[in-house]
Amino acid sequence: MSRVHFSLIRVLLIARNTLLEASRQKLFSFLLLLALGLVGGAQSFREFNFGASELKFLADLGYGAMAFFGAALTITATAQLFFSEIENRTALTLLAKPVWRAEFMLGKYLGVVAVTAVFCALMTVLLVAVLWSRESALLRDIPDSFTQGRTLRIADLLLAGYLQWLKLTVLAAFTLLVASFSRTQLFTVVTGFFVLVICHLQYLARDAYAQGGSTFAQVAAGFVGLLFPNFQLFNFADDVGAGIPVAWDRVARVSVYALGHVAAACGLAVFSFRKREI
Amino acid sequence: MSTVASAVPAIELRGLIKDFSVGLRGVKLRAVDDLSLRVPAGQVFGLLGPNGSGKSTTIKIILGLLEPTAGGCRVFGLPSTQVEARVDVGYLPESPYFYRHLSGRELVRFYARICGLGGAKVAPRVAEVIDWVGLTEAADRLVGTYSKGMLQRIGLAQALVHDPRLVILDEPTSGVDPVGAAAISELILQLKAQGKTVLITSHLLTQIEEICDRVAILDRGRLILEGAVCDLVGRAERQALIVEKLSPSELQELRGWLGLRGRTLEAVTAPRARLDQIFLERVGRGEAKNPEGGG
Amino acid sequence: MWRRHAGSRSSVFANVKSRLLAIFVTLGGLALTGAGLRWMEAPLWAALRAEQPALRLGSAGAAAGQGVTLGLLGGFRAIVADFTWLRLHVIWEQRDLAATDTLLRLVTTIDPRPLYFWVNGARIIAFDMTAWRIAEAGGHEVLPAVQRDRLGAEQARLAIRLLEEAMTFHPGNAALWIERANIELNRLRDGEAAAESYRKAWEQPGAPTYAARLHAELLRRLGRKAEALVWLTRLHPQLPPEEEGTELVLSRIRDLERELAVPVMQTYRPAASVPPGRSAGESRK
Repeated sequence: MSRVHFSLIRVLLIARNTLLEASRQKLFSFLLLLALGLVGGAQSFREFNFGASELKFLADLGYGAMAFFGAALTITATAQLFFSEIENRTALTLLAKPVWRAEFMLGKYLGVVAVTAVFCALMTVLLVAVLWSRESALLRDIPDSFTQGRTLRIADLLLAGYLQWLKLTVLAAFTLLVASFSRTQLFTVVTGFFVLVICHLQYLARDAYAQGGSTFAQVAAGFVGLLFPNFQLFNFADDVGAGIPVAWDRVARVSVYALGHVAAACGLAVFSFRKREI
Repeated sequence: MSTVASAVPAIELRGLIKDFSVGLRGVKLRAVDDLSLRVPAGQVFGLLGPNGSGKSTTIKIILGLLEPTAGGCRVFGLPSTQVEARVDVGYLPESPYFYRHLSGRELVRFYARICGLGGAKVAPRVAEVIDWVGLTEAADRLVGTYSKGMLQRIGLAQALVHDPRLVILDEPTSGVDPVGAAAISELILQLKAQGKTVLITSHLLTQIEEICDRVAILDRGRLILEGAVCDLVGRAERQALIVEKLSPSELQELRGWLGLRGRTLEAVTAPRARLDQIFLERVGRGEAKNPEGGG
Repeated sequence: MWRRHAGSRSSVFANVKSRLLAIFVTLGGLALTGAGLRWMEAPLWAALRAEQPALRLGSAGAAAGQGVTLGLLGGFRAIVADFTWLRLHVIWEQRDLAATDTLLRLVTTIDPRPLYFWVNGARIIAFDMTAWRIAEAGGHEVLPAVQRDRLGAEQARLAIRLLEEAMTFHPGNAALWIERANIELNRLRDGEAAAESYRKAWEQPGAPTYAARLHAELLRRLGRKAEALVWLTRLHPQLPPEEEGTELVLSRIRDLERELAVPVMQTYRPAASVPPGRSAGESRK
């Protein structure tokens, strides 16, 4: 009998199916509508008469909504789409076919990544449209604040959206790693949110590590710093809001950094799932 | 199939043991206990036993979904832990749930492509198996709207789409009405006629008796009986004669005639028709392929 | 029915061993990845922290207990700062000086990147808070001018201190120097200091021309007309001819030449010269 090789086609088939399943779920639509509504409703900033700075508030709110709802979507979708396969026994049927477990896990992962990509793309496009139309209106109303012309750089706005998505891909990989050994969906979701907070705060642990304390605390903080990626590196969206240009070389480096963590977390998820009893 | 190939059993279990650990202390629950079985190629093999007897665990080991604690399992000569061992296997799980957001056709196409079917072959093959299980009319409806019987049939279609040599059916008639169950029995016999090996578990012992060549009975994970169905259920030292109703004097005469030959008449009863046969006669087997049936 | 088997010592050990192995492999794998990517992360992180001093243990600690900690934990620094600013806006409308001041410190601690917070914060301290304090003390009619000026000077110094803090986060920013000059001029009525601040503003990249013009204007008002003339004659060649301000600078030069009775032969002829505050050959758009 000929060998069954790892197949990218099977991975993509599983990913497409995962995306399709997610897109038909109410949670996805709910979070998307909520986030879109929030960005759309940000027009109420006009009441504060911030002038040109209104654009900063709009951008911050848009990327904040993308980060918050995106993280919620990523964690819940990863856990839900993974455990629905186990609990509904569809994984049983799928893995009874000549399918590698690595193909199954990577398919699930890419499916979730595609879900987050759709979410971030829609949010970014809407945000760019809102910001552009608002800037056009402000240009007409208060031209003195725009002596240099338009201040919005669409490339930077798109890059910030990309970085938000990149962060979510790392979060999805870590949530999948948790799901690979977790017995319940609830545990996975709760742990996923803990991972999110730790990844945002691990730099504080490193500061504490650098500033001293007991040897044990130093070692523990240093170890935590190694285990979890530093999500602060992805927060270029704040810079866009503050009018700081995004450096392309830095984006490239952060992309490699994210890819490294995604590869490790997915690899470990496959390792953990390899012997899992379905 | 060559002679050498057919000499290789479809499934071979040797001293199979499966323990499940519970808790950190590692308390073991033994689901399968020293099970040895051979399922010859081309036969319909019934795996019987009460709930919790280890049937489903055994099937999961055959499918490589579980690893045995001890012993070995081979499928067409390959260890079941290898992905390659599943290339020639189709599987219908008990009470199958499929992706509800796909239509029946999309679902079967998905599994066909997962099994490596591609290009122009996919669509006709998908249509063929859907037609074979009698779901052509409902093929473009979402699976989420299917009845239980239809789910079993679409499950059968996905199990067969890549034309496997071994088909494993875990309780294929569970929750299905007699019409649907009869239709599935018919499909299994057709599979046998195509030369496929079928491993089936079922609570419907009548159905098993009708379609299986061999059966094995498990209890508490152990094999307690195994053999050809005709050998197990036949009672060679007894006979039943069915005649038109005799008058009391004729009956007395018969007893006398038997007595002269050293025989006794052990029972006189009126033969009863089986309820499922009456049901099928009245409802009609022709409706078994009605897409709405069997739920 | 499945049968229970009491876990033998070896099976318990094997079970624990396999779980420990899984944990060890997972943690080890993640730690190795973290260590392996440190070479890439370290320079990125160092650069980021250099630009964002807010990413410090202290800044998160300072914000703690203000109801914003959770937002910072989730990495929503900018949006938390924005909403704190909106809260400040509401408090500002209520003219609550202490609360406005507290929230102002909080906003700039949470996110010191946006200039908007610093510049508007300085204006609130220098102008709005002065007005509130005067109103609280009885109003313009009741409070003597000396006391009004004293209050104004106190607030102006506080605003300047805020701007100085902002300059540590935004070195080389013209807008902060201009804001400082405005406060020195309008609140402290200190022309010398304001002229110096406008000069500093003009030295920063991307500074508007009016900063340089206002520097000269203040020198003129301070009676340092010759100095002002030199400044303007060195400024003019750097300005693009099509810009509105260029013509204005030339007109000011002519005014000063008249006021200083500069001989015709020594009057300014538009030509290349060394610009004030920068090296020769450097030009500005």
